[in-house]
Amino acid sequence: MKKIVLFMLLLIVIMSAVGCSQPDADKKAMVIVSFGTSYADTRELSITATEDAFKEEFASYDIYRAFTSQTIIDILEERDNIKVNNVKEVMELLTKEKYGQVIIQPLHVMNGAEYDEMSSIVAEYEGNFNEVKIGKALLSSVADYEKTVEALATQFPETKDGEAIVFMGHGTHHDANAVYGTLEYAFHADGYKNVFVGTVEGYPTLDNVINELNENHINKVTLMPFMIVAGDHAHNDMAGDEEDAWKVLLKEQGFEVETYLHGIGENKEIRKIYLAHAKEAIEGEDE
Amino acid sequence: MIKKYAIKTWIKIGVIIIITLFIARPWIEKGLNRITIFDTKDYEIDFVDDSGYRIRMEKPADSVISLYSAHTENLFSIGANREVIGVGKYSIYPYEALLKESYDYRSDPEKVIASHPDVVIIRPFIERHSPDFVSSLRRSGITVVSLYPNNFEEFDDYIMKLAKIVGKEKTAKKKLEDFHIELDNLKNKDINENEKVGVYFESSDREYKTVTNKSMAAFALELAGGVNIATDAIPIEEGSSIAAYGVEKILEKADEIDVYVTQRGVMGAGGNYHSISIRPGFHAIKAVKNKRILEINQKIISSPTFRFVKGVKQLKRTFYPEIYDKIQEFDNNHLITREEFAEILVKLNHDVIFIPTSSYYRDEDKEHYYGALVDVTIEHENFDYIETAIRKSYLKSEMIDNEEYFNPEKYVTREELARVIYLLNDMENNIDVIINDEENIEKIKIVKTIVSNKLMNLENGNFNPKRNITFEELKKGLDL
Repeated sequence: MKKIVLFMLLLIVIMSAVGCSQPDADKKAMVIVSFGTSYADTRELSITATEDAFKEEFASYDIYRAFTSQTIIDILEERDNIKVNNVKEVMELLTKEKYGQVIIQPLHVMNGAEYDEMSSIVAEYEGNFNEVKIGKALLSSVADYEKTVEALATQFPETKDGEAIVFMGHGTHHDANAVYGTLEYAFHADGYKNVFVGTVEGYPTLDNVINELNENHINKVTLMPFMIVAGDHAHNDMAGDEEDAWKVLLKEQGFEVETYLHGIGENKEIRKIYLAHAKEAIEGEDE
Repeated sequence: MIKKYAIKTWIKIGVIIIITLFIARPWIEKGLNRITIFDTKDYEIDFVDDSGYRIRMEKPADSVISLYSAHTENLFSIGANREVIGVGKYSIYPYEALLKESYDYRSDPEKVIASHPDVVIIRPFIERHSPDFVSSLRRSGITVVSLYPNNFEEFDDYIMKLAKIVGKEKTAKKKLEDFHIELDNLKNKDINENEKVGVYFESSDREYKTVTNKSMAAFALELAGGVNIATDAIPIEEGSSIAAYGVEKILEKADEIDVYVTQRGVMGAGGNYHSISIRPGFHAIKAVKNKRILEINQKIISSPTFRFVKGVKQLKRTFYPEIYDKIQEFDNNHLITREEFAEILVKLNHDVIFIPTSSYYRDEDKEHYYGALVDVTIEHENFDYIETAIRKSYLKSEMIDNEEYFNPEKYVTREELARVIYLLNDMENNIDVIINDEENIEKIKIVKTIVSNKLMNLENGNFNPKRNITFEELKKGLDL
């Protein structure tokens, strides 16, 4: 009898231990992953506002924030006492909180190096949850290009002859750098002949864009960042007043230049594309 | 055991030990200073470095590797260009330093050892950060000298130690004399005590740190005629030039801060213009309200180099622009040279002088590199105005046979003036104007827009782009 009681007790302990480490199938989390920015103003207008849109759309999910830039995470912690998790930390937190379903939605523009790195970190934690799904970046399908063109077109009025919109993207060494050329093609295919896309660190370069501006007899250019936030790149590389800023380089060539200092995270139509990608991830159309 | 001996015996033993220690004192001292005990040679160079090592050298070094950018800069300043065979990876000044072999104390010491330098000069920070690297160098027989002046008072002594290592005492002495004369001349004597601007100096935006009263930066503020509002700041640790201050204290003195100076150029330094402007509560600071935030590179204000003079000059221009950015008057018919034009433009726009950081040189496609001009070297009187004017794209350099020239004495042309007016103003392009000599103009859209906006006139239907401009034309074009 004594032995049976002891055996039962042991069984209860083992069962409860196993039960404790099991994720809760009803607990659902969504992680919004972005590069991050140390500027509070643009962070609120773009990243926080996009996260708020996710909170509204996916009310049954607990929404978490993660940044991929450790430098920005460190600055925010040391300088502003703001704690933001990196992807690894947020996955550990979700494991600890026993979430059953986890959706990761990056706010990246492309499925590039950062997307790959994020995905490989998430993969390490896959076994800790019942289900983990990753939403695609902004430009992933033909439909995405079409929707992105429509969304970005809400930022500018119809361009007159001799006027152009130039988007400044970041650019990457990754194969996904091809998104910039494709996006410009999509603009032109959709009738926006005077919209051009260049990059700071990739291809097409500003020189490529200037050639196109000249070929199209452009006189006036409005520069817009093709980045989630209007941070350092937008303020300095695009709209700055030093020799390597796009504004200065274009003015030197005799273009009249205006600048638009808002990240695409502020664009409600762009947010809708990210929301749709998260929805597709939940529904299993995309992983 | 102890009781076996009488007290007298113990006293005798004690006396013998004391006498022995006294006699052996020189050898013990040598041992403490990590010097071979039986060394009886005569040394030309003999001093204790800032990590506590006694440095003894029979003759000045013929080959030196400097692993700290300020040492590199100073070695070049005292004429040791030849002796410096290698520099640390962040040594970017002067431009010639970039052409030397680069070394890194965070990597394998073998690269340094294989170069067989007579001396490697480091600073105590490197000794603390990479002790294994430094001891590997010492074990290999290389003389390692660690130097760093903790405050301005130690600067001369530090420079003279550097000079001794490379045998340049005479040049260094002269350089120091000139430096002190220049600083004395720079000391602001034009401003009355009650008219001085209040200044807050941000050394780091992490916990809103400032500098101590003994720091080089605080000394620069004083020389430039600013009143440091944070003289009550307490050092973060004894001997440190960094002091904690905190947001509450800054905001308490919001009305006293006429100019907010933020030190930039290194990780964890002060905030930039934008980040300071958007901090909660900071709109109450007088300097933020009036957009008087100066971003200054730490190399010219906190680093122990002769470029400290540039930092003081910049502070004076920012504190009292009405005096120090006043544009020199010329006769109306005076033809303006390119160097005069550079100075006028930098002063007119109150541009902060350009000081590059190491990331500036990472881009390999630049048309111009700071310090690379053949005809405007760092010794040139208008070096900073010219480099800043190029950085702001007001003026361009010219490449001849792979060498870069600015042509400071050449006169400014009408097309150059038109280009600057266009860059400095946002105006609608208007190309509906007929210019007879269009074929001689490089940027026709710019010139036509300037002419149609009546900022420059045609002369009998011609623009005459190559004609030189007078001071009178410049005043009209720039609306002086």
